Amino acid sequence: MSNRELYDIALTVNDQEVKGRVKAETTLLDFLRDNNFYEVKKGCDKGDCGACTVIMDGKSTLSCITSVLQAQGSKIYTVKSLGTWDKLHSLQQAFVDYEAVQCGFCTPGMLMTAKALLEKNDHPSREEIREAISGNLCRCTGYKKIVDAIEAVSKGVRK
Amino acid sequence: MSSFKFYKPDNMEDLLKVKEELGGRALILAGGTNLLIYIKEGSIREGTLVDIKSLKELKGISGDNGYIEIGAGVTIAEILESPLLNDRVPFFTDTLKNFANPLVRNMASLGGNIADASPIGDTIPSLLVLNGRIKAACLKGERSVPLDRLFKGPGESNLKPDEVIRTVQFSIPERGKGTFIKLGLRNGTSCSVTSVAVWLAAEDGRVEDIRIAFGGVAPIPLRLKKTESLFKGEKLDEEKIRALSGEIDKEISPITDVRGSAEYRKQVSVRLLSRAVRICMGMEE
Ligand SMILES: Cc1cc2nc3c(=O)[nH]c(=O)nc-3n(C[C@H](O)[C@H](O)[C@H](O)COP(=O)(O)OP(=O)(O)OC[C@H]3O[C@@H](n4cnc5c(N)ncnc54)[C@H](O)[C@@H]3O)c2cc1C
Ligand code: FES
Ligand code: FES
Repeated sequence: MSNRELYDIALTVNDQEVKGRVKAETTLLDFLRDNNFYEVKKGCDKGDCGACTVIMDGKSTLSCITSVLQAQGSKIYTVKSLGTWDKLHSLQQAFVDYEAVQCGFCTPGMLMTAKALLEKNDHPSREEIREAISGNLCRCTGYKKIVDAIEAVSKGVRK
Repeated sequence: MSSFKFYKPDNMEDLLKVKEELGGRALILAGGTNLLIYIKEGSIREGTLVDIKSLKELKGISGDNGYIEIGAGVTIAEILESPLLNDRVPFFTDTLKNFANPLVRNMASLGGNIADASPIGDTIPSLLVLNGRIKAACLKGERSVPLDRLFKGPGESNLKPDEVIRTVQFSIPERGKGTFIKLGLRNGTSCSVTSVAVWLAAEDGRVEDIRIAFGGVAPIPLRLKKTESLFKGEKLDEEKIRALSGEIDKEISPITDVRGSAEYRKQVSVRLLSRAVRICMGMEE
């Protein structure tokens, strides 16, 4: 068997079409980073930390354990789909206001998980927020400020 | 150097054809939460990834007359969100609330959990006490295998190289109450050290029927039929429960690994079983 077998892939990332040729086992995470979507972080690369979370066809997904070919034709959203420097998304603004970001490594994944949560459940309890982010590890904040930020957005309050 | 191919069958027939042709070299890729990790670790180095993630024939949850059938491709998140399952077998959906975390649950399939044949697969103890079966399909036809005869050892099952799990089925017991307790090192993201599922029907404190299954105490997930027979017909109080639970010693063979020692697992298992029985008896929340 040749080890150079490559496959065509086409999907959209933040509504832009991205194409390429990939190996059968290439992960969505490696494909995204190879295509300059560095905002998607590589932490553990084995499903344990959530840093690589993106939204794929409406669901929060761990891109490091998703085969990119399984994402053929999918709509992928990364943290850059949320807001811009001048006009932050309400979740991004709340993460700033509530000091839910320290080193920032977990933040892109955390925000995408939070976004998927609020799309499904616009008034989650603190318990539900904690549960939803339980696959996104944060070494810095102790989580409380992250939960505060997400809760504030769900309640429409601004600090 | 690893070398993989990729193939996405359009329907069940194409899937079974590629399985017939390549056997074990056709690596079924459902959620990929195990398979992609095996590939990264290098424990699997070649084969054709056969993508079944969006195969309609493996989706769907149905039930009538107390009989439930779940497609192998259904994800843990879909099971947790199923109104039918939450209504009819809350015992089973409750089991999965501590499965990994919501991200993994969005991806992980029921069939993948069973086919992986891990001694600590979290869907398995509950399915064992529900007398669950799988339908294994190949090009020649289909057979029904009871779960308690599916597993051979860690990562090894009696599925043939050309077979695919199509559905998982069980009947809801007419009487009784079930509970599942998972002991992990921490909540969320973490696999079980040991887990127990109990289904119990009692009348005036006397056991009419009991089914007990454990994960993580032997090379395979296990029904403890000897211990079950000791419980049957007994009038249970705290002391009796403790004494009978101690009898699992004779049926389990836990190992020492990074998550815990054999002795720890044994002690913990006795306590988990006592607690599960007390919960089923309404003696504890
Ligand atoms: C961070 C993390 C946490 C986890 N936590 C848990 C946990 O708490 N509890 C738990 O039980 N597991 C856990 N797991 C393991 C894993 O998520 C589950 O076993 C999951 O159910 C596997 O399903 P999948 O669809 O991802 O399988 P895949 O990885 O796609 O496949 C797994 C194996 O089954 C085979 N297979 C898949 N579908 C079929 C089929 N229909 N017929 C025949 N063979 C098939 C594949 O070829 C492969 O060998 C965890 C994994 C990760 C990465
Ligand atoms: S990088 Fe994907 S979960 Fe850690
Ligand atoms: S802010 Fe550092 S890991 Fe979360």
